Amino acid sequence: MKVRPFYLLLALAIPLLGSAPAAAQFKPSKPIEFVVHTGPGGGADVLARAIATAMEKEKLIPVRMQVVNKTGGGGATAMAYLAEKKGDTHTISAFTGLWFTNPLMRAEAKITMKDLTPVVRLVLEPAMIVVKNDAPYKTLKDFIDAAKQNPGSLKQSAGSIGARDWLVRQLLMKQTGANWAYISFPSGGERIAALLGGHVNMMLIEPQEAGEHIRAGNLRVIVQISEERLPPFPNVPTMKEAGFDATVPQVRGIIAPPGIPAEVLAYWEDVFARFVKTATWKKYLEDNLFVDGFQRSAELNKFIDEYSETTRGILREGGVKVVR
Amino acid sequence: MDVITGLFQGFAVALTPVNLLWCFVGVFLGTIVGILPGLGPAATIAMLLPLTFQMNPTSAVIMLAGIYYGAKYGGSTTSILLNVPGESASVVTCFDGYQMAKRGRAGAALGIAAIASFVAGTFGVIGLMLIAPPLAKFALSFSSPEYFALMCLGLAMVVLLAGKSMVKALLAMLVGLWIAGIGTDLFTAESRFTFGNAELLDGVDFVVVAIGVFALGEVLGNMETRESGQMLPVPKGLRKLLPTLDELKACRFAFVNGSVIGFLIGVLPGAGSTIASFISYGVEKAVSKHPERFGTGVPEGVAAPEGANNSETGGAMVPLLTLGIPGSGTTAILLAAFILWGLRPGPLMIQDNPTLFWGLVASMYIGNVMLLVLNLPLVPLFAQILRLPVYMLYPVIFGISIVGVYSVSSSLFDAWMLTAFGLLGYAMRKLDYPAAPLILGFVLGDSMERALRQSLMMSQGDLSILVSRPMSAVMLLLAALILLTPLMRKVNAWRVRAIEEGG
Repeated sequence: MKVRPFYLLLALAIPLLGSAPAAAQFKPSKPIEFVVHTGPGGGADVLARAIATAMEKEKLIPVRMQVVNKTGGGGATAMAYLAEKKGDTHTISAFTGLWFTNPLMRAEAKITMKDLTPVVRLVLEPAMIVVKNDAPYKTLKDFIDAAKQNPGSLKQSAGSIGARDWLVRQLLMKQTGANWAYISFPSGGERIAALLGGHVNMMLIEPQEAGEHIRAGNLRVIVQISEERLPPFPNVPTMKEAGFDATVPQVRGIIAPPGIPAEVLAYWEDVFARFVKTATWKKYLEDNLFVDGFQRSAELNKFIDEYSETTRGILREGGVKVVR
Repeated sequence: MDVITGLFQGFAVALTPVNLLWCFVGVFLGTIVGILPGLGPAATIAMLLPLTFQMNPTSAVIMLAGIYYGAKYGGSTTSILLNVPGESASVVTCFDGYQMAKRGRAGAALGIAAIASFVAGTFGVIGLMLIAPPLAKFALSFSSPEYFALMCLGLAMVVLLAGKSMVKALLAMLVGLWIAGIGTDLFTAESRFTFGNAELLDGVDFVVVAIGVFALGEVLGNMETRESGQMLPVPKGLRKLLPTLDELKACRFAFVNGSVIGFLIGVLPGAGSTIASFISYGVEKAVSKHPERFGTGVPEGVAAPEGANNSETGGAMVPLLTLGIPGSGTTAILLAAFILWGLRPGPLMIQDNPTLFWGLVASMYIGNVMLLVLNLPLVPLFAQILRLPVYMLYPVIFGISIVGVYSVSSSLFDAWMLTAFGLLGYAMRKLDYPAAPLILGFVLGDSMERALRQSLMMSQGDLSILVSRPMSAVMLLLAALILLTPLMRKVNAWRVRAIEEGG
């Protein structure tokens, strides 16, 4: 909470910065350290490396970006590392939904998003709920009805508590009164294998991950978790169209250490505002079936408050201990 | 017939000069990465990925896959010479490999590791080529109850890894299981034994435990007894550096065992090469005529685990290419790379992209030959490292270990943890506790707990799910049999004595 006045100032300053070329005041003078919380090959790492390569290709910044992996603590290590770099103008990091929920659930993860300087939101990752092709469920309603008839016997293969698939399940169960098992697997591969092998009944999956199995006819999409229908699946309803209010986005964006000068924040906002308009980035979104979710710092701060509050509520109702 | 035409087509792709070059670059880099502890193939592939966008996809895939299986060859080098596992799968190679080096057979151990890697690596590719689709089906039929049974089978190996005292072995294993429990509980999101340290939320890294307990423990222990200027004896003359015919003969079964077990376990996305090497080592010891000599430097104790962890790569390619399911960190990055190039591993890949699939398979045959040719001449060279006087070698091992651990997570916390595990390893040596059961417990603990809880969630708390499924029942029965062997041996010894006394 102690950083609040700073953000208020910032919010006021942004409209001015947007029009004036004030951003030109700051220019990075040495390579940028791009911190990610996953190991090489993890979601955040792949995104960061793609951004670094695209920045270089589009010549948007005068220096290189060096990806640094600070793994551990479900993002907590990277967040603590950023907090330590207070005022560092040559460090940025890629955040994801985990950065919101992890500090809420774990006392050890002491740094929250609001202790850092959120820069921009970049991506909203859609998802889909899939079942095996020979399953009797044609729609999400079919699945929910079946779950109601046999409480607790249907199974979802999924990630950890507090992850997006858990949040969606909690919302659906709350709205419908249905109940099914949530079986955690650490890797996406194991989740798909459990579904394909018929050991569980459904899972929430990123479109890219499911694409080939849908094309081969092994999996069927019953609903899309996205505001609008994705181009490859024009005939599958969105969550809202199916009559449920459980469109939880998976967000990704850029965040910086606390206490950086306003002109540095403005510089990064400006760079990324131009970045999201490049053809390279648009193609990247298209290839990965990501949705453009660009927001500047002021909006992003508002989004963080709302999202954290919603998540806190879902966690509490799900019986998870919320620590902050 | 499809296979043969496919393979011809594949060799036509893989044998073009450009692809041969990239294949060599891949396996060469892989060997180096495997030798360096800490820096693994996953990190290397991720770092090189952006550079490969300019290449044609087939060449890029051939090169990156080369790094993946090449690393398995290199991993054994530091295990054998310095007792420093170069990567997690090479821990088991330390057991007998380092003991062989201690007896002056370092060159032979390295040679056997290279040959076992070649035989099993090639076997893995043949398996991938011939039976990928049906095997993928087999992998899918495997679920949590089966994984739990497989882990039990692995854990039962403790009775085979025990030294003189079974009690001490079991205690060490329990400590390993406990260390595996540190971190966040996947099912409840609660933290266990973290004592408020965010660094411990993701648990303890395997490299930290293995390098600490093995390498540092060994060095600390050796520093007490400074008898000779040289750490280990190295015989003069090239001939003495290579495995003898007898040693190779002793490994005959180990080559087969390692190949088959490694491949089958590799196919399962939830198992991994460390488990494969443990199980094949256990099997080798169980069927051996002289099980008591395992752990003192028998060649088959090197051949079996090295074989298993190399044929595992062929196995792991099965779910990766035919289902798009990665089984390990490295295959996950390979998958990410495939997708970035617009190639889509999955049920339709062999149909849609035959050139790439068969090109890759053919390149793996070539790559394995290259690795053998590359690694065998290096054996005498690497063995010379041991000629270094201890006052130079020990600091080097310390340095390599600390840098290796730091390079995994770039956190100093891990370096301190390494120190703690080094001291633990030292204490265990002094008190005559075996280190292998600790590592075994640590490797299996996490997946075993997970598989059990997943199974019980699937069955709504009914334990019979573990024995009502045929595959899991068979594996549990095997585990029970293995657990009973030392008891039967005791009963037998007692009976023999009774008869002798009576007679």
